Amino acid sequence: MRDIKLPMSEADAKSLKLGEMVTVSGLLFTGRSRLHIRAVEDNIFPPIDYEKINCFFHVGPVMRQNGDEWEVVSCEPTSSIRFERYGADVVRKFNLRTLIGKTTMGPRTAEALKEVGGVYLTKIGLSGNALRGQVKKVHDVHFLDELGKTECTWIYEVENFGPFFVAIDADGNNYFEDLAREADAKMPEIEAELGIPEGYTYTEVNG
Amino acid sequence: MIKREVVTDAMYNAIRLGATKMPPDIRAALQRALEEELDPMAKKHLEVSLQNADLSEKGNGLVCADTGFPMFFVHAGKSTVIEGGFNTLKACAEEATARATAECFLRPTMVHPLTRKNPGDNIGPGMPKMELIFDREDDGLEIIAAPKGGGSEIFGTFYRMMFPADGEAGIKKFVIECIKDACYAGKVCPPAIIGVGIGGTADLCMGLAKKAALLRPIGAHHPDPEVARLEKELYDAARKLGIGPMGSRGINAVLAINLDIAVTHTAALPVAVNAQCLVGRRWVARIDGNGNINYTGVLENA
Repeated sequence: MRDIKLPMSEADAKSLKLGEMVTVSGLLFTGRSRLHIRAVEDNIFPPIDYEKINCFFHVGPVMRQNGDEWEVVSCEPTSSIRFERYGADVVRKFNLRTLIGKTTMGPRTAEALKEVGGVYLTKIGLSGNALRGQVKKVHDVHFLDELGKTECTWIYEVENFGPFFVAIDADGNNYFEDLAREADAKMPEIEAELGIPEGYTYTEVNG
Repeated sequence: MIKREVVTDAMYNAIRLGATKMPPDIRAALQRALEEELDPMAKKHLEVSLQNADLSEKGNGLVCADTGFPMFFVHAGKSTVIEGGFNTLKACAEEATARATAECFLRPTMVHPLTRKNPGDNIGPGMPKMELIFDREDDGLEIIAAPKGGGSEIFGTFYRMMFPADGEAGIKKFVIECIKDACYAGKVCPPAIIGVGIGGTADLCMGLAKKAALLRPIGAHHPDPEVARLEKELYDAARKLGIGPMGSRGINAVLAINLDIAVTHTAALPVAVNAQCLVGRRWVARIDGNGNINYTGVLENA
């Protein structure tokens, strides 16, 4: 399995194949809904060097404070599809070449990733406890007081972080869209076996 | 009489254990699914998830970092007496939740729906959710703590008011479409346990779906043979979607489909769906009339 160095180069991003499993090493920043909304609507975003820290990890970790140090208790990737409204804007704004999360993102974010030469990586199983051990250092935290431990932005240094798999490649192809088409194609037969008449519709009461 | 501090301790430990341990019936079902899946990615999703649960049990990690909505289902008996009366249960649930959150067994996840402000302790109007059910014969209390993740609740909740003419075909179509949507790209973290409520009012219907998803052990079926038949037909159909663990190519989109019913209006056919994620978090605390507590991951009822 390949380990990709962060910040991910355009060449690395373009070499990744849909469905390929990878790990990543280097610096990343975290965030979820509030980061997206504030960055786009209010132009408020974590003051970090996005050329150096260019991987956005969609997560609300469980963090424990021990004196001045922060410890990751668990960090399970969160559902990225929720951020689709602002995903593309955030990718373009920070020229993000790596997104890591759960589920997938929609066509607009895929288009933005294609423009910047970036990929979307999604989680394999539930792995928050293994991922926790791969966070080597918690470097910084932004907006902790305003947003709380779950929605604020943490800066992690990670090593062989993952594995994840490529759900959207740098050409904008989405791993899950093929699967969805396959499931849709099976529906008529499944419905027939369940005894649902062909062309069945629910009772319509709105004219 | 059961002392207030005993109830609080039982609630705290039940939700702590729920957040850190995978119930044995869920683990066995995931193991069976792992043996059955063929696609390497489908297998990998399950292997990693089972390892993750092992790590959680050994260390002080969590089965899943999204400990979600804190919920308690409390079953009381005919002669159960609690210090301070039943009113005290809400305060006990709040104390238990705040303590588990402060100790990092629960993530501070509950926020105000409009201001999005996070008080940091998972407590606010309506939360923790506590349901009190008087259905026991004895003087004890059974507390089931179920920290329910966002993925399953947010992407796995559906309701449709159908009509009598929509019939069984309508129920089946609705449920199978909900499962397909909920499992797309692993939104509800499949293999899911799908609870389906049929009948009642809208809130009763959704409550049936939620309890069918959360509180029934894997392998148990509805006692009414007609309802059990529907469960089996829908389960077999869901396995043909080609959707597996975490939305991969596979067989196990679901671990179980659990239906429950309530009588309803002669003009109505309400159907609700609520999904539980693959880790199926819940833990049980049973308190006898003398205040002795037993904890278990095994659910008693069907």
